Parts: sequence; structure tokens; C-alpha cells
Amino acid sequence: MTTAEFLPGRGSTIAATLFRFQSLFGLALVLAGAIVFSPAKNGELLFLGGENLFNVVRAISEIGIISVGMTFVILVGGIDLSVGSMVGLAAVGSAVLMAHNGLGVLPTVLIVLAAGLVFGMLQGVTTALFGIQSFIVTLAGLQVARGLARIWSGGQAVPLVYGDGPGRAPVTFSLLGERTFNGLVPIPAIIFAVVAVLAMIFLRTSAFARHVYAVGGNEKAARLSGVNVARVKILVFGLCGLLAALAGIVHAGQGNQGGPNDGIGYELDVIAAVVIGGTALSGGRGSVSGTVAGALLLGVLNNILALNSVDSNVQLLIKGLVIVAAAGLQRLRPTP
Amino acid sequence: MEDSPLVAMIGVTKAYGGALACDHVDLTLRRGEVHALLGENGAGKSTLMRILSGDVTDHHGTITLDGTPVKFGSPVDAQRRGIAMIPQELDLVPELSVSANIFLGREPHTRFGPIDTRRMHHETKELLARTGITLDPKRPVGELRTGEQQLVAIAKALSRDARVLIMDEPTSALSPTEVERMFAVIGELREAGAAVFYISHRLEEIGRIADRATVLRNGRVAAEFDAGALPIEQVTEAMVGRPVGALFRARHGETGDELLRLDDLVLKPRRQRPGRREPAGISLHVKAGEIVGLSGLLGSGRTELLETLFGTGTPGRWHGEMRLRGKVVRPRGPRQAVRLGLALVPEDRRISGLALAHSVRANTVLSIVDRLARVGIVARKRETETTNDVVRDFKIKLGSLGDPVATLSGGNQQKVLLGRALLTEPALLLLDEPTRGVDVGAKAEIYQLLSAAAARGIGILLASSEPAELVGVCDRVIVLHGGRSTRELDTRGAGEAELLAAAMGSTEGTP
Repeated sequence: MTTAEFLPGRGSTIAATLFRFQSLFGLALVLAGAIVFSPAKNGELLFLGGENLFNVVRAISEIGIISVGMTFVILVGGIDLSVGSMVGLAAVGSAVLMAHNGLGVLPTVLIVLAAGLVFGMLQGVTTALFGIQSFIVTLAGLQVARGLARIWSGGQAVPLVYGDGPGRAPVTFSLLGERTFNGLVPIPAIIFAVVAVLAMIFLRTSAFARHVYAVGGNEKAARLSGVNVARVKILVFGLCGLLAALAGIVHAGQGNQGGPNDGIGYELDVIAAVVIGGTALSGGRGSVSGTVAGALLLGVLNNILALNSVDSNVQLLIKGLVIVAAAGLQRLRPTP
Repeated sequence: MEDSPLVAMIGVTKAYGGALACDHVDLTLRRGEVHALLGENGAGKSTLMRILSGDVTDHHGTITLDGTPVKFGSPVDAQRRGIAMIPQELDLVPELSVSANIFLGREPHTRFGPIDTRRMHHETKELLARTGITLDPKRPVGELRTGEQQLVAIAKALSRDARVLIMDEPTSALSPTEVERMFAVIGELREAGAAVFYISHRLEEIGRIADRATVLRNGRVAAEFDAGALPIEQVTEAMVGRPVGALFRARHGETGDELLRLDDLVLKPRRQRPGRREPAGISLHVKAGEIVGLSGLLGSGRTELLETLFGTGTPGRWHGEMRLRGKVVRPRGPRQAVRLGLALVPEDRRISGLALAHSVRANTVLSIVDRLARVGIVARKRETETTNDVVRDFKIKLGSLGDPVATLSGGNQQKVLLGRALLTEPALLLLDEPTRGVDVGAKAEIYQLLSAAAARGIGILLASSEPAELVGVCDRVIVLHGGRSTRELDTRGAGEAELLAAAMGSTEGTP
């Protein structure tokens, strides 16, 4: 049960294997670096502390959830720039629906997820049926979603105060900010893990995924072979919108509010995670497992830089270099 | 040095991977000569000419120009020495004007810095006058007709003082009058001492314009002829490497009910000239178990017809009647066409056929992934079994099913596409140039596969620019010209030479 044929590189030489699992090796490399450079306290490495490790996953969970959806979009040769705004819109929506409209958790979550799905699908329809590049369509979507978030919130963050009574959000929702299992595993990390595993299985086994790869690999060939290219694109953009909305709900839960400016710039971190994960921006090649490794790599990097109190501007610099290095590695990869 | 040839290629060898594209080829070009190169696709003509024009540089052997050995590092290098190639796909920028194209990369400047457009237009006019046409130098090249573009490309080469012109199928998209005009230009060029390597499939043309003709096969010189009197049968035999009959075996087997019938199907051109009468359309029929050929020049409507039948042409761009098993249909897209029982193997496998980076398996089963799946989950085992069946039946040579399809040879890639098309169990198979860039051995195997498919009752409509292929494989051949069917030939009745001539575009004896 592998999808080796859709992964970069081929053959069984050491080099080919390295390239195929490039993102995992990158992650291992960064992990090793993190351990070496980890500051110690009372003889214990801070980085390896259980709480710290789970903090890494928690910090990256929103980016991670979206990057799973983005992987699908990039696999069909598209891009979705609207995900950051969608996080803001979904966070605002969650807060407003619960705090102002008095809805329960389940209806709120369903409405927000449906909104994300529909918004994504509309973008898919625009790009697939009217032949406008997804870069343009989702650039417009980015503005529209951000505008909606600002209008809906009245331009101000909507706070979530938990409890009963008018103007208060159901206590259940505060779970998203909490931890389970000995107070260690954050709920957002569990959501990320579930999403990632489901997506991995789906991408490896489903007929739909074959069509996703085919559309990205050669759209014309896919169309001539009877693949419904428009449907594939619409559903993929819908999925990405849905997962961005899910990340927005998580964001509201973690921050106990829905702010109109939440999630600004997320799209760039998400795309970085997918690219570091070895998915080709031209489409047709890549995997969710690579993306997960890419997201974790970014998380570990952020964490170790923060633990060492590296200046935030220098952090940006280092992250930039890592992204370029990952992209450069892809250029070196032997192409068939 | 006057007696040395203008160009001499001695022992030129070039290998791609293990395969020799050119194998110790000796070739000369004298001053004022037009030297025709013949050969099947993949015979080595293009590679040889790309070597001469500096596009391919890692070759063995010597090239001399005026008796002096030369070594080109790049096409620009070769151009500087007076060698210019005019590729089949013209390297003009459609958005730029005629003069901007001609002076691309070496635009003259005025004393003050900006480009001297007035001088460019003026010099362009003079150049064009030499090629015998009057064109507005300011017009974008994209607005010109193909024949005019061809002449602009020649003018561009002349503006760079080319003494050796390499022309790759220059007439494939030209109308008869445009061909005449181009021949006149070539005549003037040779008067001026220039020489031409002329790649073409059209023997009749070669007989008129060329002095010598060299036939290449499998990277070697197979034969050389005096172009004045080309013996068609010997030439084709030299091209194919064996008597034509041995490679091609038209079946003429049992045919069944009528599958497809077209009545006056008119493909509307993209831009219609006002006041121009629409041509009478294409009429033809295909029976079950029959292989029908589509012949005609580039631009005659071969590819457009197949695309229209498969629903990939723009809907509403055609009228007339298409019947499938007697029922009027109008496919709106490939998916509908597939449901109707059609399958298409497109012209360019790398552009519209294969996802090159994906595995042989993924490419083979692409058209039926849905059917291999249960509740949306692909049964891996059935997928592999299906691919294995195709690989065995079609004798596809490969390392493993997981290898990228790009690692296969052209012939094996083509078989993957054919396999994919047949997996949908079509009633009617549409093929566009099914053996382009395929070696002779794989070609014969593909013909056998087509024969076998027809024997199973599948109707086949095969568009090809290779006359020998049409004559050898098809039961009947429809000749298209300017978007209408002009002739229909039964490959049993007529002699080979007549068929070759007809398939090569001669429209004598229109019914």
C-alpha cells in the first residue's frame, strides 16, 4: 500500500530514497538540531520536555490542518490564498453565532464548516468553469472573506465568555483550549492528527485521489480520459475551505475570541509547509505525510528559535532560508 | 576552396541514452543546391539538422563549412556562421510585429537610445520584397496566415545573412498558391548561392524543388536518389526498410453494422471571413470492424474533426449531422463521448496524453479508476492485474509498473495510451497520428493491435500524415482538404503509387 508512483524520485538508490522522503529527513535534521541547541534547565533539555513537545504540535495545529487541504489544492496544480482570511471569518463566525446569536456548539460548528465548504467551492467553480487562474480567484477570495469577517464582527474582536445566559458561549467550546490525557495532549493537536490521518488514507486509496493526481499531472490528458476535471477542482477547493474554517474554529477556541484580523498571513506559512513537504507547486506530485512533516518542521524550528530567545526578525530570516533550501532540494531531485 | 562542398557532415553520430539517433552519417550540401531529406519519424533527420544548426552540440563526427571544420556552441553561434533553421513550429512571437520579429534581439537604435522603429520597418520592407511579398511590417505576426508567417521566417533568416537554410516540412500548412510562392523564393535563394536542406514527406514536391534526396532510416543513410525522378516504391521501401506490404497488412476483414455516419459536417473556422461561402462539409461513415483513414494536409481539418467527434472542440463551432449507430448525437465533452462509446488517442502524447511523472500503472488505468473502485476505494490488486493484462497483451517493455511513464520509449508510451483507450471498451476508436515518433518495430506491433481491435468489432477512425501508414493499415481512406472530404479511396482496388499520391494531397480525380 504505497503511492510511490506519485512521490518525487524513483528507484532504490540511497539518493533516490533520500529525495523521496526528503521532508522526513529534513524533519529529523531539524529535530536533531533542536536537541543539540536546546537550552537546559536542571540538567533537562527544555525542548524534549513533554509539555514543550506538545506545545510545538499545538502551535502548528491550525497551520497543519489547513496545509492538509492546501496539499490537495496544490496537487491539482492550484493555489488557495484565501485560507488566512477564512480563518478570520470562521473565528468571527464562531464567536458571533455563539455569543450574539446564542447558538449551541454543534450548530455553530456545522454552520461555520458549511460556510467554509461553500466559500471554497465557489472559488473552485470560478476557477474551473470560467478558466480564471486560482491565484487570482483566491486573491479575490482573500479580500472578500476578510471583508466579510470585518463586517460581521463590526470591526472588533468578539470575545467568548463562557457560561450560561445571554451573551455567553457554551462551556463545551472552551474544550478547544484545553488538554486531555494527564493534562498533556492539546485538543487542537488531536484534531490535526485525525484530519491528517484521514487525509493520508483518503489520498492513498480513493479513486477521487487518483483523479486529483491526474488533473495535476496532466489536466488535458485527464479530461480526454473522461475525468470530470471541473468536479475534481470544485471539491478540492471546497475541502480546503472546509479545513480552513475548521482551523478558524480551533483558533477561536484557543484564543477565546473571534477577531476580524485573525489568521492574517497564514496562507504563507501553509504554503511553506506544503512546499517543504515536497509537494510540487506545478501539481501532480506530493503527499499529505510530507506536508505533515513540513508543518512539524516549521513548528520545531519556531519553537527552538523561541526557546533560545532568538530575535524575532532573525527568526524570519532563518525560516526564509529553510524554505529556499527545501525548494532548492526539489530542483536537485532527479526528474524522469 | 571552391570545389569543396558548402557543408559537409562526416561521420556524425549522436546517441540518446542507448539509442543512436544518428549513426555515422555522411552528408554534403553544395552551393546553390536543394538537398531533400526523407525518412520516417525518428529516422534521425531532425537530430541531424539540430546538430547542424547548433541546437545539439554533444555529438561525434566533423562538420565542415567551406572546407573548414567548425564546431558550434549554440544556435546563435551557427547563425553567425550563416546557418539558419526554420523549424516546423515557427519560432516567431505572435504578439510582435513583423519587423520586431525579424530584428528580435538585434534591434537597431537611434542616436538617442530608443529602438529605431522607422529603420526596422524600412529594412523589413526591403527584405520582404526579396521574398516576393508585400506585408505591412507593423502588423502583428499572429494576424498573418501561416504561409505569410513562413515567408516572414525565411526573411528573418535572410536578414541574418544565412547561406544555409534548413527547412523542416515548410509546406505542411500551406495552400497550393503559397507553396508556389515559397518555391519561387527558394529558387531565388539558390541563384544567390545559398543552399537548402529540405525536410519533407511529399515526394511530388521534392521532385520539383530538390536536386538530390537522401533517405535516412534508424539514424543511417539508407539510400540516395537523384531527386528529378524519384521512384516512389523504392523510396518508401528505403524509408521503411522492407517492402511496404510486409509491414502493413490491411485486413479487409468482416465488417458489421454502421457505427458512425457524418453528413456534411462543417467545422467552422475560428475567425470567419465575412462573405466567404462555407465549404461543403465532411461526409463519411465507419462500420464496426473497419479501419477508416483520414488523410490531408496540416490544417485540412483532420485533428479538428476528431476533436469535434470527441466533444473537445468548442460546441456550436460545427453543424451538420453526426450519427452514432443511427442515432443523432452531439457530444458536449469527453465524458459524454466516452459514455457514447468513443475513445480518443490524442495527437501529442506528451502534451495531451500522459502524466509523464506518474507511474505506468496510474497512466494506464486512468480512464477506468472509477470502475476499479468499490465505495470510492481503489482495489489495488485489480488495478495491478488490469495493468499487467495490458502490458502483456500489448507487449509493453518496462522495468516495473511503478516506473514513471516518461522512462518508456515512445512506442511503449503510445501502447500505454492505446491500452487506456481500449480499457473503456469503446465501440469507436479515434486515433490521431498513433505512430508519431515511434520506431519501426513498435509501429508494426501497434498496427497488429489495431487490426486485432478491429477484428473484435471495434470501428477505428485513424488520422495520419504518413501515406504508407494509411494505405497499409486502413480499409478505406478519406482525403480531407480545407475542411471537406474530397475523395474516398478503397485501399484494395487502387495501386500503391496512386494511393500514395492521393494521400499526399493530390486532389486529382475528385469524385
